[in-house]
Order: sequence, then structure tokens, then C-alpha cells
Amino acid sequence: MSIRLEEIKPKRVMIVNRGEIASRVAKACRELGHTSVGLWTDNEPDAAHLEYCDEWVHLEGNGNAETYLDMAKLVALAKENNIDGVHPGYGFLSENGNFSTMLSEAGIIFIGPHNEAIKVMGDKATSKALARDAGVPVVPGTSEAVPTVKKALEVAEEIGYPILLKAVAGGGGRGMRACISPEEVQKNFEAVVRESTAAFGNGDLLVEKLIVNPHHIEVQIMADKKGNVYHFFERECSIQRRHQKIIEEAPSPFIGEDEELRRDICETAVKLARSVKYDSAGTVEFIMGEDKKFYFLEMNTRIQVEHPITEEITGVDLIICMIQSAFGDDLQIPSQEWIKKTGHAIECRICAEDPITMLPSPGVVTGFETNFPQGVRFDHCLYRGLEVTPDFDPMVGKLVAKGLVRDVAIRKMKAALAGLYIEGLKNNIPLHKVVMDDPVFNEGGYTTNYITDTAPQERIDKSIDFVSIYRKLAAAEARNMGM
Amino acid sequence: MRTYLIDSENSEYIIDLTKTVQHSSKLVEYEFCTVTENKVVNKESIFIRKLAGNYYCSDDNKAWKKIARQHIPRRLLNVDQVLKVYRGFKPSGLSGGASGELLTQMPGKVVKINIEVGQVVKKGECVLILEAMKMENEIKTSVEGSVKAIHVSEGDALDSGVLMVEIE
Repeated sequence: MSIRLEEIKPKRVMIVNRGEIASRVAKACRELGHTSVGLWTDNEPDAAHLEYCDEWVHLEGNGNAETYLDMAKLVALAKENNIDGVHPGYGFLSENGNFSTMLSEAGIIFIGPHNEAIKVMGDKATSKALARDAGVPVVPGTSEAVPTVKKALEVAEEIGYPILLKAVAGGGGRGMRACISPEEVQKNFEAVVRESTAAFGNGDLLVEKLIVNPHHIEVQIMADKKGNVYHFFERECSIQRRHQKIIEEAPSPFIGEDEELRRDICETAVKLARSVKYDSAGTVEFIMGEDKKFYFLEMNTRIQVEHPITEEITGVDLIICMIQSAFGDDLQIPSQEWIKKTGHAIECRICAEDPITMLPSPGVVTGFETNFPQGVRFDHCLYRGLEVTPDFDPMVGKLVAKGLVRDVAIRKMKAALAGLYIEGLKNNIPLHKVVMDDPVFNEGGYTTNYITDTAPQERIDKSIDFVSIYRKLAAAEARNMGM
Repeated sequence: MRTYLIDSENSEYIIDLTKTVQHSSKLVEYEFCTVTENKVVNKESIFIRKLAGNYYCSDDNKAWKKIARQHIPRRLLNVDQVLKVYRGFKPSGLSGGASGELLTQMPGKVVKINIEVGQVVKKGECVLILEAMKMENEIKTSVEGSVKAIHVSEGDALDSGVLMVEIE
């Protein structure tokens, strides 16, 4: 079967984002024949993403609150520039239902899902209720506060141990305690009530099943306005620090060859997307236990940072699909069966951070070169002279390697990391190098506890390498001599 | 040329560039060593070759590796450390440039000028004091001769690379 490309009416697309994702969207616009309008702010006059934008517009202001988050200003700017559609990228206003409403009231298309989907999925309680109604498994437990120990014990008996006593108002790992037996529930209940009352001023507790050795697995969805919903297989994003992903891979090594499980989780995600008449790019996130049972966590109603690994294994340009869907154009996907996965892709997020403490570390890039093996993609916004400021996210690039099998992808990633030279700016390349050599990572069975359990940062060699310093000084001397 | 590297704990590494051989317009050989407790260690030759606009380095003039081109760096990255680089001097101001032209190596303010035009200075003599990075640095001449010109005055705030004094 062959598909003839329809003629697309050129549109004007404003990109309300910066950095690598703004470049990525601009490239897609150019390919489709749309005009991309890029923004630059007073605190980033050297916005490198403009390189790929057809038109440059000054978004006045310094902090994010008065620039990429100022909805009224952005809508006015879009009107002024005769914009047909706005792409929000990720972060900033990408999952803000009010922004998409304001745009549609101004007659401008929000390149993302419809308002209702953003609002429903943006709320943890309503999205879980919707998932339950759609027959999508959610983590077993109570949705309302459990008033007494007696009630907690009843619920625990029903859902099975181990369980988690969790403060309604808690978050970030606080106000939680795991219990493996009724005795532990007896012992911990009052303590968690006291703790959460002290910490959050609210002693209400939930009882939830504790997922042991969890995996973070998510399914990429793409849908159009005609009711077609497709999945693009899964990604495993279990390697996280501070609840943020740093390494992702597709497909999941934990699901591995279990095609039945893969089909099950992907079709579940499609079912959920259909239930909200989803019509754009989105990701359904699941938590999967060591027993391979999976439960719905949340749906991200935007393009995600790690979308390139899915593009690499399926060969489909997700940003292009997103733009096509928003303007009502054909996605050029004949059927779900046409979407096939080949090989394995890994992404390492390159961040301006201390590789040991993993804390953001702003600075200036004094040197930048690449020397990559075949089969490597680097989505980035780096250049010599780039100043990474505390104003924006510390992620400066996404290194993606692909191979027919996972081991080949890892080998390519190692070679790519060895050929990525960033000078002057602390970055997490040394951490990625240690992970790529780590036996636990190589076996592929790692869980979301990976960083805590294996502490790869402690295995980074910190000693001063004089030869490498000599090389850097020598290159600088040579440049100084005018060579 | 001596380079001082200072880490965040104020440990100091002294690296000397002991030899420069320009083999061709595209190939230079440098010899570096590290000075630890007055002993020379880690003596290494580094070759730099420019190829198609990029810089490559080699330890043996055979095996080459690409390297990120930098200006004379003020800071060097080593895993989780950003080392401050002082080329030809260190903040405590032990030495000056190799020629009769004294340039600022970093931005600073002229606190005191000890010389006058026409005065004869000896090697190692402190010619002026520059306040930089909240420290007073004695700027010493590494040549002997008479002061030809003084281009700055006390209180001037200077960028790096500014010519302060000429000695001939």
C-alpha cells in the first residue's frame, strides 16, 4: 500500500518554548511547509533555537513568569503575528487547559489535545476515576481517607500485603510508610497520622498496595481528530533521580520478549486514550511490579522529552504527526499494523549538573565538539559560549543511540558518550558512562530504585587526569598561536 | 609558561609548559609537566594537529583524538570540579608575563603603581598591585630593563588582556 501525500495548506506556527524542543518543532514545521515563529526573551537573547525558526519574535520579559508562562502576553503576541497554531513543546504551558482555552477563544489552534482531555488528565483524582471507569487498572487502594486502624486493616486484607500507608496531603516520599503485615499496620498507623498532621496539617491517610521493585513503563499514543488512536509501543523510564528521568529506553527490557504483555499494556493505553476522545500526542504512564502486573499512574497530554527513542524504533516523526493532527491533516498512518518497532533505542539526558551530587550547575560552555559513531542522534541546543543560567531547566541535550538489539544500542551509546566533548560546564556525561558499564543496567532488570540501590555516581573516577588537562591546555595554546 | 589550577578547596596544581615545537602550520608539539613539592612529575608530550577546522590531540603523533576547541580557558572541567586556571601567574601574584609587556590576566583594579617611566627595574620586581577576585596581586616583571610606558593609573578598573606597562 502506498500513501500519496496530501497537499497541506501552509500555516503560521508559533513555538512557545525554547532550547532543543523549540528547534525540534521548528524543523518539523519547515519540513511540512509551515512558517515557524520562534520567540526570544530578554534573559536569553542568544536563543540558539532560532537557528531553525523562520521568523523571530521578541517576547519581552526576564523570568519565566513574564515570558513563557505569561498566557495573556503570549496570546496577544500570537494574534499580532497572525498565528494559526501554537506548539507548546513540553513543560511551561504544554499541559495548561486555560492556555489552550484562551487560544481557541482567540481563534488559534493549540497544537495538543482538546481542552477536556488536558483538564481531565491533569487532575490525579479525576484521571484515576476515569481510568477505573474505562476498565484500566489503577493501583488498588482507597480513594478516600481511612479513618481508623480497623478500617485500614480491612482494606489491607482485601488488597493484600505489602501495603503503603500514605498521607493524603503528602508528596515527594514524605508521609509514607510501607507495611508488610497487620502487626506493622497496627504499629505504624498512629505514627503516620502524627507525622502527617505535623508536616502537612492534615492527618488523613490512604491505604494503597505497595508495588515492589517497580518499573516505570509508559506507552506513546498518537491520535487524530477523526477518532484514530494509535500506540507506538512502550518506553521504560525507570532510571530516575529526584523523580526525574535521566535514561530511557524503548522497548522496555523488563517486558523484553513478552509480546502478550506488550500488546496488553499498549492496548490498555489506547483504550484509555479512546475514553477521552484523545486527538494528539500523549503518553500513558504505568507502574509495573515484579509480578508484571501494571497499573495506571497518569497520562501526560503533551509531547515528552524522551519521544526520540520511540521515533527511532518506529521511524515515525511524532512532532510532525502532532502538527498534522492539530490542523486536521492526515497522519499518513494507514493502520496500527503499519507501525512496527525495529531494534532498540536508548536516550541519555545530558544535563548541566554535578555528576556526583546530581544538582544543577549553571555555567558557560567553553568548548563543544562531537565525534559520534553511526546511528546516533543528538537533539540539543549547545554551542561554544552558551551560558546555562538558573532560569531554565538544566537539560541541554538528549543523546540517542539505536541498534538492532539492546547490547548494540548500549555499545553505540558508550561510543557516543566518549565522543561528546563539553568543556567548562559541569555535566552528567561521567554518570552516564558508569551506568552504561554497570552490570545491573546491562542485564536490563533495573527498577525505579536503580540510582538509590546501585549508586553509580559513587563509582565515577574523580581523580585529576593530568594528561587530559595537558591536552586541553595544548589545544588552547595552539588556538592562541593562531593555528 | 606556567599554569596554576586551583580547585574549589583551594588546592593548587602547577603545570609547566616546558617546550613548544612548531613542526608545521598544522602541527605543534608541546611538552608539559606537573610540579609537585618542587619535583617535576608527569612529563608528557602532546601533539596538536588542526584538521578540517577541528583540533585533534595525540600523545605520540600517531593516535589522534578530537578535542573541543577552547579559548585560553579560565576554567577547566575535571568530572565534578571546575578548576580555575591562571596562566602565567596566580592570584597571589608570584610571576609576570615572559615579555616586557605586562598584560592583565583577569579583570581587576589598579591599587598601586610602584614605578615611573624611565625607571630601571630588576627581574622579579613588583611594578604594580592589582586587586582582582577580592585579593591584592603583586604584578612582577620577569624581565630587566627600563620602564618605557605606563598605560594605567591608580584606581583604573581593567578588563583582562589590557596592556599595563611596557619595559624595554
